Amino acid sequence: MSKKITIDPVTRVEGHGRITIHLDEYGQVENCFFHITEFRGFERFIQGHPYWEAPVLVQRLCGICPVSHHLAAAKAIDQMVGIDPKDLSPTATKLRRLMHFGQVFQSHALHFFYLASPDLLFGVDAPVEKRNIVAVAIEHRDLAIKGIAMRKFGQEIIKAVAGKRIHGILAVPGGVHKTFTKEEREYFLNGKDIENIDTMIAWSEAMIEFMKDYHEKNRKFLDEFAQFPSGHLGMVNDEGGMDLYDGKLRAIDSEGNITLNDIPTDLYEEYFSEAVERWSYMKFPFLKKLGREKGWNRVGPLARINLCNFIPTPLAEKARQEFVAFTGNKVNNSTLYSHWARLIEMLHCAEAIKLLLHDNELMGDDLVRKGNPRLKGIGIIEAPRGTLTHRYEMDEKGMITRCNLIVSTTNNNDALNTAVRWVVNNVINRKGTITDSMLNQVEVAVRAYDPCLSCATHAMGKMPLKAEIYNHDGGLIYERFKD
Amino acid sequence: MKDLKIKSTILLIGIGNSGRGDDGLGWKFVETIDGQGYDFLDYEFRYQLQVEDAALITNYDVVIFVDASHDKLSGGFEFRRCISASHSFFSTHAQAPGAIVHLANNLYNKFPKAYTLAISGRSWELETSLSEEAENNLQAALSFFTEQFLPTAVPQLVFSH
Repeated sequence: MSKKITIDPVTRVEGHGRITIHLDEYGQVENCFFHITEFRGFERFIQGHPYWEAPVLVQRLCGICPVSHHLAAAKAIDQMVGIDPKDLSPTATKLRRLMHFGQVFQSHALHFFYLASPDLLFGVDAPVEKRNIVAVAIEHRDLAIKGIAMRKFGQEIIKAVAGKRIHGILAVPGGVHKTFTKEEREYFLNGKDIENIDTMIAWSEAMIEFMKDYHEKNRKFLDEFAQFPSGHLGMVNDEGGMDLYDGKLRAIDSEGNITLNDIPTDLYEEYFSEAVERWSYMKFPFLKKLGREKGWNRVGPLARINLCNFIPTPLAEKARQEFVAFTGNKVNNSTLYSHWARLIEMLHCAEAIKLLLHDNELMGDDLVRKGNPRLKGIGIIEAPRGTLTHRYEMDEKGMITRCNLIVSTTNNNDALNTAVRWVVNNVINRKGTITDSMLNQVEVAVRAYDPCLSCATHAMGKMPLKAEIYNHDGGLIYERFKD
Repeated sequence: MKDLKIKSTILLIGIGNSGRGDDGLGWKFVETIDGQGYDFLDYEFRYQLQVEDAALITNYDVVIFVDASHDKLSGGFEFRRCISASHSFFSTHAQAPGAIVHLANNLYNKFPKAYTLAISGRSWELETSLSEEAENNLQAALSFFTEQFLPTAVPQLVFSH
């Protein structure tokens, strides 16, 4: 007879998930799973809609990273009107990049300050009432205020180009529908109404210093917690530098060997396949040539920094070099370094936003271009949580007939399960009892990937929060529940 | 930190999803009031409250969070003071009104009068219209707000300034 522990859902992730740990009669772990059982809807829901509605409709599957879905869908729909990324006008490309950098900046701020910082500031043993942003606000007021201001800055960028902070619209097939004004630029440069971009850069650097100090004091924990070998997948530009908006797909194995050599994103389906498991609605993407067991990859900030040759902004590149120096320029496979990597990307985004704000092409009027229509399109973008793929097909009337969304958290599905298994095997399995701290460490591992479960399952609606432990004969001995 | 310009004294925040039937009650209420042309009111729309809304509400004397409710409320709605509350969150990207007030108090040392206006809904499916029951409850809430709350609240605010 076995005992089942359920952590349902994981706290402070975007959307809701569920973890079950199956123990045998001796209290040893038999297996564990990170379940995603939310209702999938959007891939089917969008069929029959006009192709041009995709960037507007699909972003509604998430209230946290709608910009990423908006832009990934837009890139796919561009192709359906015959426009590849290189064919977009410079103004349209730069406005989309500005929006994307604002999105990544605000999303990373949300994750680091609101979701991850309680784990770092208070430790995994902190009581549950302390592991939240309210406690951070009370005990680390300056950090909390900066976090709010940084997230607000990113959201204001989005609002400026898309009309509103959430579910706004910038992209249209083949371009964008509005340009940028001098007044909008001044709003972000002069610091009169909100903190300016230079402050965002300075604060981003300060956050990296905070993280380096934390690393100095907690290196063993960061190095060892949920450390496991895996592939890493992300997008790079033609020179191998980090590119969050457009580029080629690169994957490396846990030793840094190239497993996918900078392929055009259009060829995604030639190289990747997706597996399904009966216990999760979330797909399991993998590289075909390596197979289901060995072909999965992590995505997101840690993967992107592991696989890029450089970051194309100077301060972030300097921070990257310091980061990789800790592992002797070898691939970093330690889950918690994701937090540090995320802060480096925030700095990169802030620098990139500043460059764009000073670029007069941002205020051009060449907004939309047209080409020869195609019946399918694929758009890939590096969303805050990792590689995001939108693929659409349409009929001759322009109605969508097929949609496939492979979101960042889906790409991290195996990594999430492996991270949970690491904690279960290394923290829970060796102990006689299961404490709140142990369960929190499972959540800490999951949170490091900043999973967006509503995106991953394209869910509509909400799920309750529940934690359960069953004894060996199926009796409920532990329960945690929240609406 | 810089403060945003104070434009009005009362902020209405509609919370919900207008694509999910009666979950659009909060937005519909705020849109309706917005259409009546009160120049001392400001309006915001949210799918979820987020931590940064704490900074926003510090610019107002009064903030009213308007949201749909699953509960069958007496008279179709409930208007009450929103008490500062330090919750333990499982999912901190979505904050409760009390937590927003708590953060405004503790982070910014600002103490706006906060209220919640909950309006009963019945249908939460994928649609953009309100149920008949929700429409009736919305009208009751609107009548209360325009005929009872504003006539008493606004003179106090003007006097205090």
